Amino acid sequence: MKAQQRYWEDVSEGEELANFQIEINARRAYLDVSGSQDWYPPHHDAEFARKAGHAGIFMTTGFTQAALVRVLTDWMGDEGFLKRLSFEMRRQQRPGDTMTCRGRVTRKYIEDGRHYVDCEVWAESEREGMTTPGRAVVALPSRESAG
Amino acid sequence: MPYDIEAVRREYIGMEFGKSRGRYPVEYDPIRRHCHMVDDRNPLFLDPEYAAGTQWGGVIAPPSGWLAMYFASLGPWPPAFEALVPVVPAPGKQIVNLSQDVEWFDVIRVGDHLSVVRRIADVYQKAISIDPEAVWVVSESTITNQRDELVCVVRNTLLFHRTPGEVAAAQ
Repeated sequence: MKAQQRYWEDVSEGEELANFQIEINARRAYLDVSGSQDWYPPHHDAEFARKAGHAGIFMTTGFTQAALVRVLTDWMGDEGFLKRLSFEMRRQQRPGDTMTCRGRVTRKYIEDGRHYVDCEVWAESEREGMTTPGRAVVALPSRESAG
Repeated sequence: MPYDIEAVRREYIGMEFGKSRGRYPVEYDPIRRHCHMVDDRNPLFLDPEYAAGTQWGGVIAPPSGWLAMYFASLGPWPPAFEALVPVVPAPGKQIVNLSQDVEWFDVIRVGDHLSVVRRIADVYQKAISIDPEAVWVVSESTITNQRDELVCVVRNTLLFHRTPGEVAAAQ
């Protein structure tokens, strides 16, 4: 789905970014290994994961990052540029969870002539609450520049 | 011989790994699979005809540090996960990725050919619930394209820990 273009002037601090949910199940775990090419066994081998001290298999960093990136790219539009994303893998997303990904604008500002927006972005689940907090800096086009 | 974190820190912090080039140029299908896993249907990442009409002139990769590392590394097969991980001695061999910080300077286009230089930025020992001797490794990967233009810098924190069985056996 094409992302609607977001312009800096139209953004408000406190604005919520559109959220989405992903059901974490066996099929999703296979899609994760396919999409991330992360073959580390705790992500697909339940016995290996339990021996390593985990409750079971859990989703990869690549998967989690892709979901957080999607929150931002769905929102910012084709002309937006993700300047920075940092996140912490504090809790695991595991089969049986529903992963909800959300974001919020925390600040908008101009620096060196570029129009920036800071966002909080995170993943959560019903089981764990917030699993993956993150922060992002997005550069957006300005209506003045576009006009 | 007991594990000596100070000796490991002296030897490894600042160690830089030579520049390595991705096995293949950036391709459509790994981007498609990456998007598929999180139901990302953005045509900028998936539809060449649509993307050609944008300011980028063609399909670009979603700005994921993981995907950038993938394209700058060994490619889709055979799997070679360990080559992506800085080899730092630790009591445990189990790995958990804890955090990532990615700063972007350019987009990744289909057809680009990425390279990476990796550096160990920090190593320290800090207990976790299942292993009092877990080792944390911070690495910094600088990714460039075929024109030696800086694409992104990925700062990653990995945890190396022992299994509960290994911890029990060591006590």
